[in-house]
Amino acid sequence: MTRWLALAVAVLFVASLLTGAAGLGVPEPLILWQIRLPRTALALLVGGGLGLSGAVLQGALRNPLADPGLLGIGGCAALGAVVAFYWGLAAVFAPALPLAGLLGAALGCAFLLAFAGRATSGPSLILAGVAASALAAAMLALALTLAPNPFALAEITFWLMGGLEDRTLTHLLLAAGPIVLGCGVLLALGRGLDGLALGEDVAASLGVPVRRTLRLAAAGVALAVGAGAAVAGGIGFVGLVVPHLLRPGVGQRPGALLTPSLLGGAALLLAADLLARVAPLLLPLQQEPRLGVLTALLGAPFLVRIARQVAPGGAG
Amino acid sequence: MIRALAVALLLVVTAPQPAGAARVVSLNLCADDYLLLLAPEQAVAVSVLAADPALSVVAAAARRVVAVRADAEAVLALRPDLVLAGPYGAQTTLALLERRGMRVERLGLPQDFPAIAAETRWVATLLGEPARGAALLADMQARLDAVPWRRPQPAVFLGARGYVAGPGSLADAVLRAAGLVNSGRAGQPGLEALAAHPPDLLVTATAPDYPSMATDLLRHPALAGIPRREVAPALLVCGGPWTARAVTVLAR
Amino acid sequence: MIALRAPGVRLGGRDVLHDIVFSAAAGEMVALCGPNGSGKSTLLRALAGLLPEGGAPDPRRVAYLPQGARCAWGMTVAEVAALGRIPHGDNDPAPVERALLACGLDNLRGQRVDRISGGQARRAMLARVLATDAPVLLLDEPTADLDPAAAHAIMALLRRVAHQGGCVLVVLHALDLALRYADRVVVLRGGRIVADAPPDAVLPAAAAAFGLPWGVDPSPRLLPPGP
Repeated sequence: MTRWLALAVAVLFVASLLTGAAGLGVPEPLILWQIRLPRTALALLVGGGLGLSGAVLQGALRNPLADPGLLGIGGCAALGAVVAFYWGLAAVFAPALPLAGLLGAALGCAFLLAFAGRATSGPSLILAGVAASALAAAMLALALTLAPNPFALAEITFWLMGGLEDRTLTHLLLAAGPIVLGCGVLLALGRGLDGLALGEDVAASLGVPVRRTLRLAAAGVALAVGAGAAVAGGIGFVGLVVPHLLRPGVGQRPGALLTPSLLGGAALLLAADLLARVAPLLLPLQQEPRLGVLTALLGAPFLVRIARQVAPGGAG
Repeated sequence: MIRALAVALLLVVTAPQPAGAARVVSLNLCADDYLLLLAPEQAVAVSVLAADPALSVVAAAARRVVAVRADAEAVLALRPDLVLAGPYGAQTTLALLERRGMRVERLGLPQDFPAIAAETRWVATLLGEPARGAALLADMQARLDAVPWRRPQPAVFLGARGYVAGPGSLADAVLRAAGLVNSGRAGQPGLEALAAHPPDLLVTATAPDYPSMATDLLRHPALAGIPRREVAPALLVCGGPWTARAVTVLAR
Repeated sequence: MIALRAPGVRLGGRDVLHDIVFSAAAGEMVALCGPNGSGKSTLLRALAGLLPEGGAPDPRRVAYLPQGARCAWGMTVAEVAALGRIPHGDNDPAPVERALLACGLDNLRGQRVDRISGGQARRAMLARVLATDAPVLLLDEPTADLDPAAAHAIMALLRRVAHQGGCVLVVLHALDLALRYADRVVVLRGGRIVADAPPDAVLPAAAAAFGLPWGVDPSPRLLPPGP
């Protein structure tokens, strides 16, 4: 399964480099390096980070509905990035942008861990996430209203719904480091997540360092999702859908889902970005559809389906 | 004698106020520009955007005037004789003010220099300053006439968020007045299309001081190699006699 | 093989256990019984090293199955059993095989644990416990929610494990199961050990702990399956 996913990612990566408004095929170097490469590489990194984060969150919290967007972590990351961008911090010190996203995401994770406490596998965690998400979106709108730029609020659709158009190599360089680091941290948590599948008590008795595993999961998610949201805005549902699509093929063991979810998330976002780029060329659209819109169109029906399978009051 | 004086006094006191000694509130950026250029002493309040040098040609003067939002209560508290507004926006506020018997005049959106001239004359008459209006138009015409002839060069005007100005827009009028040919089609072609078929000359507005994603696009590395001229954004946000200054910059 | 000396244990601000002096040896099966709230589960958790102020867990020596433990995902029986190797950090299939066979799960190994019966799922959890090859097994209410046949099967399996050299401690609500299968019954009441004796001698103290009379009851009843 992993091999097929890796192949799919490679094919989509190449297809993305060869597709654009300038025509199919290898474009001139300026367009290839400055326009198509940042966009393609970011789709791979951000999507991979989101897919892997979703798999880790679901395993760590024993909740099939866990997803960085749904739990408000993406929204908090976007809020951090908005503050850093519109108040000039990122203009003075470029890494302030992903760092602020990271900080926002970390605060979102901390809030979840503190609020949910032990009852992470039930609907109360999702409710906490919905609250965090709503609060983050409201604060984001407030920040945009107060920003020195009088037209900042018009850019809210990017921050809430994501997009990869017009990204530069600088964006890629800023986000790549934290995302790769975060994914590295998350990929090492397989054993711990397997143990947590039987509950925190059993995991502890098996020698799994439960507190440390949860903190590492939070740190890895903050790195991967925080830096991703800082350059691509808030993209939801990837972390929810990818593990669920892969479980029938990979099995339900949380540790087995990690690498496939990373690859699956990368493939999903590469495909969505490709679709977003091609759509205005085929349909009479004014601009590209938001990436978050495309993933929501796929993910929302999934959410309904999963929620119906979950027995009330417990993980399905 | 005393009766003649009394009649004269009565005539002076009851004579209609000369148009011009009025209290004027402006709720729209473009109206702010006209008001503070034609009749600054009549300005009681202007819009919040008037003090932003990236958007307004009267930013310095606006700082000395009260700023007001399009809020009926706030406007009524200022007791204006005349309220100036744009063609869109603040509809409910304006409807409310009109129902209270307030005089509201809506400015248009002139997209070329003849329309600008007509608009300037109308607003100047409205404010009772036709002479000042004529002076602004004379300056504008002088700038337009001073454009040296040269071979028409194709150019594209790229605005915020990657919008290309098409025929019939204000930017198009500026390009043509500067002796350039607008080779752009209206819409958002996207970064790659622009980089793949780069125009001979790219005309953009100078980026504002504050961070803005909409104008960051104009500084994308993929567009760095295209010859470029920049104009102050405030000259093109609202069409008015000041827009001719952009023509002067481009014609150099 | 395992021992605990705890003058007092507090949980959530309340004194839950008092003056505990307890030990168990290899080869014996000890049942912990007592009324609700008497501290049986807490004592087991203390032995497992899971209390905040107690020692740390000893994953290779002590295998623990809490009450009502279930797998959050639909993993296969074999995958669940294999989790027992986490303390050893290896994927050695031999102990997992032995555990699956001992629990009678050979033909269910590929089934998802959320699609088999409650008794079968409980046995899968047991297989995980056995796969660790730990000398000490601590189980909290392994027969809860199971029908009598399944309950007897599990108790018989645990007794076999004990008599093959393991040290098995089981918290049981069902006193009759304890009396039938355990080598030793420890009765708790109010956080204290009030009795610690073989089944044939412990009944009077156990009855007193529950506040019920005891006697010989000649009425017909279900019997465990034959040998």
